[in-house]
Amino acid sequence: MKTQLQDYKHPEIKPVWCPGCGDYAVLNAVQKALASLEVKPHELGVVSGIGCSGRFSHYFNSYSLHGTHGRALPIATGLKTAREDLTVLVAGGDGDGLAIGGGHIAHAARKNIDLTYIIMDNTIYALTKGQSSPTSHPGAHTKTAPYGVYEDPLNPIAMFLSYDVSFIARTTSLKIKEMEKLLTDAIRHRGFSIVYVMSPCVTHKSLTYDDIKSHVPSLPEGYDPTDKFEAFKYAYKEEMYMGLFYKQEKPTLNERLESIRKEVTGSSYNKGHTMTTSQIMEEYL
Amino acid sequence: MSDQILMKGNEAVGEAAIIAGCRHYFAYPITPQNEIPAYMAKRLPEVGGTFLQAESELAAINMVFGASAAGARAMTSSSSPGISLKQEGISYIAGAELPCVIVDMMRGGPGLGNIAGSQSDYFQATRGGGNGDYRVLVIAPASVQELADMTVKAFDLADHYSIPVMILGDGFLGQMSEPFTLPEPSGKTFDKPWALTGAKGRKPNIIASMRLTPEDLLEKHNLELQKTYQEIEANEVMYESYLLDDAEYVIVAYGTSARISRSAIGELRKEGIKVGLFRPLTLWPYPYKELKAVSDRAKKVLTVEMSLGQMVEDVRLAVQNDSKVDFYGRTGGMLPVSEEIIRKVRSYGG
Repeated sequence: MKTQLQDYKHPEIKPVWCPGCGDYAVLNAVQKALASLEVKPHELGVVSGIGCSGRFSHYFNSYSLHGTHGRALPIATGLKTAREDLTVLVAGGDGDGLAIGGGHIAHAARKNIDLTYIIMDNTIYALTKGQSSPTSHPGAHTKTAPYGVYEDPLNPIAMFLSYDVSFIARTTSLKIKEMEKLLTDAIRHRGFSIVYVMSPCVTHKSLTYDDIKSHVPSLPEGYDPTDKFEAFKYAYKEEMYMGLFYKQEKPTLNERLESIRKEVTGSSYNKGHTMTTSQIMEEYL
Repeated sequence: MSDQILMKGNEAVGEAAIIAGCRHYFAYPITPQNEIPAYMAKRLPEVGGTFLQAESELAAINMVFGASAAGARAMTSSSSPGISLKQEGISYIAGAELPCVIVDMMRGGPGLGNIAGSQSDYFQATRGGGNGDYRVLVIAPASVQELADMTVKAFDLADHYSIPVMILGDGFLGQMSEPFTLPEPSGKTFDKPWALTGAKGRKPNIIASMRLTPEDLLEKHNLELQKTYQEIEANEVMYESYLLDDAEYVIVAYGTSARISRSAIGELRKEGIKVGLFRPLTLWPYPYKELKAVSDRAKKVLTVEMSLGQMVEDVRLAVQNDSKVDFYGRTGGMLPVSEEIIRKVRSYGG
């Protein structure tokens, strides 16, 4: 039987994000993408860190894990190695994913572990009521930058490209159809995929729907997502481009581990790489 | 008797974990426990397991978190400064009621300290550096054989109570080679209906350590944890008594310092001094009652540690008579000397 959108929603727990939060659209698009791929709810694992995005894992009719601040990726790595058969989604925000947990993205990319990481960027720590984040606009006034943000924002897409993440896309909470398509491709992608969503915060207004409407062109017709240098070029443009930036095929973590296992299974231990004490006596006395 | 093999303590921990069915091990390099990840990197693929060198101690403990949530037997290992970094993850794992095994081969501190064996992280292990009302079951072996045997047991205890269990050794124990007999698997199996293995035919389950509403949800959860801890205190205390039947003087020591104390006791007994050893094998739960009974019959209780006095606080809690309690310890990776222990006990006028 085909799964419906409703099959992915938790039967009791309803989202508690502020009315109008961009994250509702992301949750909806993720669940639609899962339905279109016919990933069964019981074949799904959802992992999240801490922050508004941390609530993400609570809203699925599946088994899920709400973990440690910034550590959703390592947790999902442990989960995926133990249960290769599950489709594992990871949710985070700009604080959880790029500040406290920023160090893990490079290493998930190096392993090319088969996870889809959904980052919802609202350029603010919203759950803790409005502190600066790694993507806060310079000059923006926040609780921790009362005189204006004096640090430069990160360029996440350029970071992911230099880490060699094997699927990189950026979209917004306004483009639900595009987001759903990118999420579907990302979940289908074999390896580590990131879907980076500009997701407005209506409470702190650090990123508004108007901000997104006016500054987000799509990557041009004929753009080649296998051309990494082209991807870098568009990552560094003044305007915030949307779409599939980069995609490459390479072995997943499990394929790499499996090839080592095949090579060595049942090999050395009981065949003498550890000598018994009587063997040692015979050899040396 | 089955044939013995020769291994370093660190390697014995690795092989014992595999015997116990551990197929998921994640770690970050730190001396003096590097033989554990090296052994697991070589050995785990042979048995179809997964070894990942994590990008940090934080990543390693959180990978354990994820694998354990999936129902796997998972382990990480480190040494003192690395264990400091894991504390947050340990608290979350305890809060989420998941089992796992953590090995700590202690080295000298504070800070980066040095790489020699030490026992100055007794507080860290038994009181926890993580936040919240939680406990970690701590086992302190004193030989390579015991490291191996207790590693197998640690996995069963972790699964039985669904809590983190720590094997607390030190750099000397980890680096020391001794002949030992490989332990047998216990054969025990544990149901894990909560495991994140897909929700087919079951209600969805969320593994989390966050409990926000209603307002007393967290207190109720912590009281449930407390019940588990009380059960552990009632059932899982382990200790060893050596020459205590007639002892007027009791030395209390664990791990490497217990071995040194034991040779001092041998010398003192030759002089006719009635001295014995009380060796806690579990540091939490601590054998308070058992030590109290022994100390009631003794004139003096000497705690020997490779620290400047950490376990001695539990000894005081057990003995409940500070005038009886004495302490001798070396710190910063230095070992207590048998001769010093002998001099101390002689000075009691036995």
